[in-house]
Amino acid sequence: MSTRRPRGRYLPLLLAAPVAVGLVYAGLASLGLAGTGARGWTLIHWVRILGDGAVWRGFGWTLWIAGASTTLATSIAVLLAVVFRGRSRQDRLARLLTLAPLPIPHLVAGVSGLLILGQSGVLARMGHALGWVASPADMPALVADPVGVGLILSLVWKEVPFLALVAFSVLASRGTQLEEAARTLGARPLAILRWITWPILWRGMLPAVVAVFAFVVGSWELPSLLAPSDPLALPLQILERHTDPALARRGEAFVLTLLSLGLALVTVLLHETLRARWAVLER
Amino acid sequence: MAPLADRTPLAGRWILLGLLLVTTGLPFLTLIVTSLSHGWFWPDLLPSTLTLEHWRTLVDGSPTRLLPALRSSLALALGTGVLATALAFPMGRAMARLEGWRRFAAAGCAFLPVAVPPLVLGVGLQFSFLWAGLGGTHLGVLLAHLIPAAGYVSLFFLGIFTVHDDRLEAEARTLGASPWQTLLHVTLPVFRRPLVEGFVLGFLVSWAQVPLTLLIGQGSVPALPLEVLSYLQAGQDARAATGALLLVFPPLLLMGMAGALLKGRSVVVA
Repeated sequence: MSTRRPRGRYLPLLLAAPVAVGLVYAGLASLGLAGTGARGWTLIHWVRILGDGAVWRGFGWTLWIAGASTTLATSIAVLLAVVFRGRSRQDRLARLLTLAPLPIPHLVAGVSGLLILGQSGVLARMGHALGWVASPADMPALVADPVGVGLILSLVWKEVPFLALVAFSVLASRGTQLEEAARTLGARPLAILRWITWPILWRGMLPAVVAVFAFVVGSWELPSLLAPSDPLALPLQILERHTDPALARRGEAFVLTLLSLGLALVTVLLHETLRARWAVLER
Repeated sequence: MAPLADRTPLAGRWILLGLLLVTTGLPFLTLIVTSLSHGWFWPDLLPSTLTLEHWRTLVDGSPTRLLPALRSSLALALGTGVLATALAFPMGRAMARLEGWRRFAAAGCAFLPVAVPPLVLGVGLQFSFLWAGLGGTHLGVLLAHLIPAAGYVSLFFLGIFTVHDDRLEAEARTLGASPWQTLLHVTLPVFRRPLVEGFVLGFLVSWAQVPLTLLIGQGSVPALPLEVLSYLQAGQDARAATGALLLVFPPLLLMGMAGALLKGRSVVVA
């Protein structure tokens, strides 16, 4: 009960316990020691996954989607936060519009992405009305396209509100005073943006940006609706193998699961390290 | 107030606002129009006939999979919100008392179920849930949703308790209040706002969940997102859009209610 050893210090382990259980099971299953179709100790699942070109292409493609959508969403969030941080009615309306999609499930973003960006979707119909698109085939493929344009746009639509919320609150809680001081000392608006606003913003936003990137890498809903079948996004590969009628292939799903878990662990470390660093700067 | 904001050319601000209106509004508008359509053929910009049939099936008792799915999803989300808050409140408090590496490790523990993709969690835990007899049951899906939700809400309460001062409760205890009295008359009123916000956060995590429901529910636990997916795969866009809108309203309503209840600041997601 001393302050050095507070009560409930082991409680947080409860939160991580289910992940640990899943980890152990996936580890056993990836080695053929558990799960349907398991036939005892083997490294075959690891060999197959690590030697499969389609897995690596899917992995690379998933990183591209996560990188592109996180970068784009962060840029838009920063722009909106810098422009609409004031107190006017226009600012408040802009903030309301920015944050509106925040509580909306990803699946909804996927459904409307499909209805808007598909080759006979709303965008194509608008193009037709303007005389640009004669038939659905003329519309550039934005859904299930190899570059992932439709997927990236839908992800951006869903991630901007969260990143903008962080950006707005970072600026509101730490920006104003320093900026006032700089202005009093004679700094020009662009200099303030370069030397005060921007450094505060990116440091404050970095943990959230890392979290969004990790979330996008592992999220299944949007790729299942908008991603192409080749290259196949990592989460789709996991479910495909996990439900494969050929039981022998199911063990491979657990190898991918472990790789995803490893990626998530790296993210957790990065996120907590960045946050701890930022907390020191706050004092 | 904001130096640069004042200097952004007025036209630029209006253009940005217009773009925001379109990008935020168009997806919702598209869903509404699609849910009112009955055969919306290329290249019509709007459906030739509008109908309320997909909405009417929700209230006139005709067979629809959306209604049971809506009920099931609501129950799961309400349960997850309440349980996650009840669990995360003491958790956040205990974590905030830690210092140094212990605190770092504790926050890492809470962030782990948040960072691990639900699909990965579901694949890893499916066997354990089946073994415990929880596969394909509402209770099983509820517990599965609780795993990421408790992580999110714990991180949220860690943030709350980091800046909170618990001398008020200590004072109440010193003056002779029992633990229950302290909880009822001091703790709960003081933490009304974060408790409501934590509940909303837990609700939303469950409400949007797809892979865990799929893997642990095994198709026998109905849920709104799963119905939307299956209507979409069947090419029934109008029904899928109706379901998608059903997914939109409760979160907006909840955020609005929480906002009105806690007048002032907006809900802050950890």
